[in-house]
Amino acid sequence: MKLRMQITKEAGIRFVSHLEYTRTIERAIRRAKLPVAYSEGFNPHIKFSLASALGVGITSQAEFVEIELAKEIDITVAVEKLTEALPMGIHIKAADVVGSKTPKLMAIASGADYYVRIPCFGDCLEQLQRFNSAESVLFQKPIPKGRGKTKEIQVKDFIKKVEYDYSNKELELRFACKITTTGSMKATELLKILRDQFSVPLILEQADIQRTDLYAVNDKGRKKMLIGN
Amino acid sequence: MEFGSIIKTAEETKVSIALAFPDVYEVGMSYLGFKILYHILNAQPGVAAERTYAPWVDMEAKMRENSLPLTSLETMKALNKFDFVGFTLQYELSYSNILNMLDLGGITMLATERTEDDPLVIAGGPCVFNPEPLADFIDFFIVGEGEEVMVEVMDLYKKWKNEGKPGGRKEFLERVVQIPGIYVPSFYKVDYLEKETQGIPAGCVKSVTTVNSLAPTAVQKRIINDLNTIDYPTKPIVPYGEIVHDRIMLEIFRGCSRGCRFCHAGMVYRPVRERKPEVLKKLARQLVDNTGYNEMSLVSLSTADYSCLEPLIHDLINEFKEEKVSVSLPSLRIDSFSVGLAKEVQAVRKSGLTFAPEAGSQHMRDVINKGVTKEDLMNAVGAAFENGWSQVKLYFMLGLPGETDEDILAIAELAKAVQGKYKEVTGKGGAKVTVSVASFVPKPYTPFQWVGQNRLEEINRKQMLLKDALKIKNITYQYHDSITSVIEGVFARGDRRLGKALYLAWQRGAKFDGWSEHFSYDRWVQAISDAGLDKDFYATRERAEAEVFPWEHIQPGVSRQFLWNEYEKSKTGTLTDDCRHGDCTGCGVCPALDAKIIDWKSSVL
Ligand code: SF4
Repeated sequence: MKLRMQITKEAGIRFVSHLEYTRTIERAIRRAKLPVAYSEGFNPHIKFSLASALGVGITSQAEFVEIELAKEIDITVAVEKLTEALPMGIHIKAADVVGSKTPKLMAIASGADYYVRIPCFGDCLEQLQRFNSAESVLFQKPIPKGRGKTKEIQVKDFIKKVEYDYSNKELELRFACKITTTGSMKATELLKILRDQFSVPLILEQADIQRTDLYAVNDKGRKKMLIGN
Repeated sequence: MEFGSIIKTAEETKVSIALAFPDVYEVGMSYLGFKILYHILNAQPGVAAERTYAPWVDMEAKMRENSLPLTSLETMKALNKFDFVGFTLQYELSYSNILNMLDLGGITMLATERTEDDPLVIAGGPCVFNPEPLADFIDFFIVGEGEEVMVEVMDLYKKWKNEGKPGGRKEFLERVVQIPGIYVPSFYKVDYLEKETQGIPAGCVKSVTTVNSLAPTAVQKRIINDLNTIDYPTKPIVPYGEIVHDRIMLEIFRGCSRGCRFCHAGMVYRPVRERKPEVLKKLARQLVDNTGYNEMSLVSLSTADYSCLEPLIHDLINEFKEEKVSVSLPSLRIDSFSVGLAKEVQAVRKSGLTFAPEAGSQHMRDVINKGVTKEDLMNAVGAAFENGWSQVKLYFMLGLPGETDEDILAIAELAKAVQGKYKEVTGKGGAKVTVSVASFVPKPYTPFQWVGQNRLEEINRKQMLLKDALKIKNITYQYHDSITSVIEGVFARGDRRLGKALYLAWQRGAKFDGWSEHFSYDRWVQAISDAGLDKDFYATRERAEAEVFPWEHIQPGVSRQFLWNEYEKSKTGTLTDDCRHGDCTGCGVCPALDAKIIDWKSSVL
């Protein structure tokens, strides 16, 4: 049996790294005394995982955690206990229980939605239009641990278009980003592309980025909630 | 805010104190004393204790650029808005950060220039047994263990505040100085010898006198006589990020009376007082439940000396087996008993085992009263190798009193013997031995407080000598920067005139001196000499028997006569026994503090 939950990473803890966020959740699980399953071996750890890593500095309304349980539990009780054990900046938004054989969230998450607020000190509408209508946008994506090496990716395979709203020198962006088994894109990378390739005058350091959703996509290309169906 | 942090509302707060750690969060969060005070103070109605740490240099630059003050983590209040700012004094090289934090917090730097709008700046911790270099900057010091005295200070403040703060800061200081364990440096005047007198050089302290009749001639340290009676933080803060010691810290006892003659902690934290095994087990349960940590370290100055360690470890391991909580020991004694325990608390096994013979030759180990023989070490590493370890780390000190080149080369011999033991036990070569060497810094209130520290060139020469002798396969040699130990030595046994040097060094950019990338030796040497002082006068000078030390009006209870006798005995390599289970060796602490050794051996048998 697996307990799955949608949780948040709020502004107060946005600079906590993915590793630290994971460890924080692990300790909360221990404090909540859920009947968790442990890995075998010399240093047993709780069997749990997060669906997708979130970049440092980004807040989220849609982190998904999956915990393997050794015993059945009542979901309401589990949520209650965990709610009490979680530190500030992490809340449970939804939860469900599935069989152990159900595929891992990590394997089925295939898209994320983002909402960005960012200072923009000049005209941008025409440039954003240009991005949306472009057939192809290429980007040299740094290879993780690649010591500065990059790999060329097609941005449009991941992000088709952005919705935007510009007023008072602030730009609001909304977009969906595809997650594939071979990789995805970061919201910060899109902002960099908009600034560097499309001359959108953005102040990247002051971007306020939020992941608003994480979901699966069915055969028909429809969004499917990760939990609760 | 992290799990376990405490935020009180303005209405709830009658007294506010910012507990300030003069280093970064990751370091400061790992100190037990700091956790204890946070807990004890916040448990008091009306008291809000918050935390603040030294911002790292890039952060500081941003704060200064945008004129943002240093604030607490809990309510983001600037330090100068607190009633108290309390610094932890863990190591001398953090002093520059104290000045920097006062400045960033918008607090008047010099205690004498502070106004009614400034907080009271206080400090405590191990370095308080010579607080003199900080006398210009601190309104008062807390001498000894803080659990009770800090609460008394807060109560006094509440009362004074309710009365409408009569007499201002001055009156508060006059009231607080009447609490035992409180040292108000401005109530004391220090005179120095103008010329050499009876073999004691000019510049040494002539006398320390009180200039306020309410101040005691000497401030006796405070201790908790029975640890079983006081509160222990069972809901410590669990940080999001990784800190230096990211685990449960269960303090099993205080004090150590093995009597190593170089050891400051061993002298100033006496006598030994253990917590009862039953109390510890109860605390352990609460700590595991409240923190969610999966590791618990049994901390003390020498954990293997806890009288009921074996049964305690058994019980803890059994209790937490299901929850996969491991138990770890921070240090090992040099014997096979300790190795046996290490084996039991499997978690240690991941890494190598660490032992601290401290010196290479038997003579040197006798000089420092380490009471360990080569045979002991061979037995201990032999047991380790038999149990599957193949890595050993050995700690030593260079520059001990009377040390010869042979004594230093004996370190290399010992490391080789350890490798030889591996071969003997396992039949193969290849044991990895790390030799880690620190330079010895004489500390106040140790038998070596009279000793001259080795000069920089001498230490460097010795380091190289050893380095050459250790060019052996599978032996790694690590040594610390000798330049930092010079400045550490100056401040460890310095007087209040050094306040000026500290101020100058800070003005010229000194901060994070404990971090080698920020430490500038030249800046310190220049600041000390610009203050009209001589670093060698403090560090390398052999001191006269009758010399009055700048710190003697702060009393940890160990008698001067005992320390001198120990120093004399060191010269002939005569050992002094541990009083924990044997006879009292007359250090003077117990009668001075009306305390006694608490050891649970007898009560359990
Ligand atoms: S007074 Fe005696 S028993 Fe007490 S700590 Fe000192 S040597 Fe030990």
